[in-house]
Amino acid sequence: MKFDTLRRSILAGAAMAAFLHVAPVAHAQETGWQPAGPVTFALHTRPGGGTDVFVRTLAQSLEPMIGQPVVINNLPGGGGAVQMANVRAAAPDGLTLGVNTVTHFTGMLTNLQGVFAPDDFAWIALSQVDPILFFAEINSDLNSMTDLVERARANEGQVNIGGFGPVGSMQNIAMEMLEGETGVTFNWVAFESTPDIIAAVLGGHVDVGVANLGPALSFFEAGRLKGLGVLGDERLDTLPEMQTWAEQGYDVDTSWLQVRGVFGPADMDPALQQQIADAIHQAMQAEAYQQYARASGVLDSDFGPQEYTEFVDGLMTLAEEQLQAAGLLGN
Amino acid sequence: MLDHILLGFSAFGDPMIWAALVFGALMGYLIGAIPGLGPSLGVALLIPFTYGLDPVVSIVGLVALYAAAEYGGAISGVLINSPGTAAAVATAWDGYPLTKQGRASEALGVSILASGVGIFLSTAFLIATAVPLSEFALRFGPTEYFALALVGLSLVAGLSEGSPMKGAVAMGIGLALATIGLDVQTGVPRFTGGEPEFFEGLPLVPVLLGLYALSEVLIMIEDGPADKVRNTLLTGGMAAPFRLVGKLKVVILRSTVIGYIVGVIPGAGASIASFISYAVSKRFSKTPELFGKGAVEGVASSESANNSAVSGALAPLLALGIPGSATTAVLIGALNIHGIQPGPLLFTRNPEIPYTIFASLWIGVPVMVLIGLLGIRLWAQVANIPRPAIAAIVAGICFVGAYASENSMFPVWVMLACGIMGYVLRKMRFPLAPVILAMVLGEMMETNFRRALITARGDWTVFFTSPLTVVLLVVAALAFLLPGIAILRSLSRRVRRAQT
Repeated sequence: MKFDTLRRSILAGAAMAAFLHVAPVAHAQETGWQPAGPVTFALHTRPGGGTDVFVRTLAQSLEPMIGQPVVINNLPGGGGAVQMANVRAAAPDGLTLGVNTVTHFTGMLTNLQGVFAPDDFAWIALSQVDPILFFAEINSDLNSMTDLVERARANEGQVNIGGFGPVGSMQNIAMEMLEGETGVTFNWVAFESTPDIIAAVLGGHVDVGVANLGPALSFFEAGRLKGLGVLGDERLDTLPEMQTWAEQGYDVDTSWLQVRGVFGPADMDPALQQQIADAIHQAMQAEAYQQYARASGVLDSDFGPQEYTEFVDGLMTLAEEQLQAAGLLGN
Repeated sequence: MLDHILLGFSAFGDPMIWAALVFGALMGYLIGAIPGLGPSLGVALLIPFTYGLDPVVSIVGLVALYAAAEYGGAISGVLINSPGTAAAVATAWDGYPLTKQGRASEALGVSILASGVGIFLSTAFLIATAVPLSEFALRFGPTEYFALALVGLSLVAGLSEGSPMKGAVAMGIGLALATIGLDVQTGVPRFTGGEPEFFEGLPLVPVLLGLYALSEVLIMIEDGPADKVRNTLLTGGMAAPFRLVGKLKVVILRSTVIGYIVGVIPGAGASIASFISYAVSKRFSKTPELFGKGAVEGVASSESANNSAVSGALAPLLALGIPGSATTAVLIGALNIHGIQPGPLLFTRNPEIPYTIFASLWIGVPVMVLIGLLGIRLWAQVANIPRPAIAAIVAGICFVGAYASENSMFPVWVMLACGIMGYVLRKMRFPLAPVILAMVLGEMMETNFRRALITARGDWTVFFTSPLTVVLLVVAALAFLLPGIAILRSLSRRVRRAQT
């Protein structure tokens, strides 16, 4: 049974990770970051979603390390605008930080253009990267990205792809990158949550769904969904039989991933940024965090301020090109 | 199956489970009663406290909180006309008039018992039908959701007191408000005035607080301190509410079934369940004219439906890993933290989770009902606070509740604007119910209408390809046509009168 191996490899991975990182956790108090007061993480989502769970789990191991309470401040609204305004206005003392996803970058290029720009912030640390995958119902005729592209070519784009967010969202841009690569078109159907997408695929209301691994994993294990391809450099450890897009001949930029990172107001002392990044990456090694991260199928990243800022520049350029190509940028 | 249910009950040998259940029920009761909070926020707030606990203990506490908060929303709706949740709006329609007539303890008694019966019975449905009904609910696609929303909206017809025309106008206001925000398909801002704060649409909690509670405060101020009916406690002690509920058993049973079924459908939920069963109860009532003016039947149907929708929403979560409501979506996050990924295999891999939830829903009912009945004496006193003082308190709750819903000033402004709008509408004798109904359903209707047309590449016949959709559309058409004819008839009568 392949899914038994799959589960075993998750467990083995988690156990290994826990084993490898016992040492750093034991010396946790040696972090260089010593905030003068409680640290607030501003979030752009309501409590309970994926990003909220990430921060709350991280906070749990971060608190004892920095010797200060960590406060989660949920500031939904305005497609991230409320949270970004809060972070931008804060003093760059490291006591007010924000958590971002790719939505922040696509937002700064579209709806929030002129309101916020990447230079308004310090991009401190990248914590998680999460490749996206395309999937179909288990009895679907589609078995691979190639099938999907061929179906679209044969039916003049009459293939419905359900994904998260409107045209111009992270997942929609991935679909458009595939369109650009293959010359075919697909029909984008926007949904507002991943479970809705999975339900629509299971019910046969759309042909193909888009998601990150975590929320879809149990449906793969139950044999209700099958993967068509993952947009990443390598296959996923947990679904080793699903090929990458590149393996199937579709050369799409694999740095287009969902991310979760930490940012702060601009003009933050680079040394402080480095300390914060180190503390966050160290907290991510705690057993509870590792257990959560492996169960949700995300990959850890250790990008500090310098790498993350470069990464953000790259993402912005890529997003801008794609949005431009899709005619979503005003000029 | 029986052995699994026993497994669920056996978990209650652990005193920690009892502690979690009682604590969750108490917290939920209070969180639900505070306007601006509500079940999904309550569950999210409690999650961090469950980190160190056993997963089964945590989930029992969180589910108890969810169920009790769904009931708690009724308390503030009945007492001060500011429903704590959208699902308690229909409870306030009759609950608050009852309070004004001095019958607050009656309304509260009926609401807690109807809630208890709703959960108890629907849990039995849940155990029997979670898997098959959730699989059936997957058949709900864009066209079915559109048709279901249309059925919900057609109920406006039955809920507009007096003039169907004014009901239609109020519905139009609600639908117009629902269009504010980023377009879900294209991401284009609509009616936002370029302000990012409007991107995600008007938030429902401050709209509810403004339309109902703040407008009530303005009316209280206008009425001045005089002529308040003193609320009396029910005579006959604890048994009195039971006798009342005995007379309502048909209403409660029917509403429980409706609430459960609507709850199972992932895109619907407790508020739509309570609206629909309220409207159905009114249609079948021998005294429909009392609805909206203080009918205990109205309170009973709304409360039994919104609580049985809790069990309903748990069905697709436990059977498939697909949340049936905003609160169950948060529960997924809670389970994730404990390393449990709800999905189609939950019953085989972690049977202790669903079966302990079933057991805890049953065991939780007497706990919740006891807390509720004991609380009535306390709450009924709230109804007797002098009017100037209660107006000040409610106004304070409006501001704090609106601020707390998003931790910012924006919802406070929304609440103020809606308060003034609600006051003006009430003064002009427009009903408020259609405004809220249309706001809740408008987005669901539009999103799914467009989703259906996009998947069909603009082919309108898509709405007639599914039998389920066709049936729902026919029901909606009939419900709309009846008052439509009434409008036409009154118009032609007016024209004729003008001619003579």
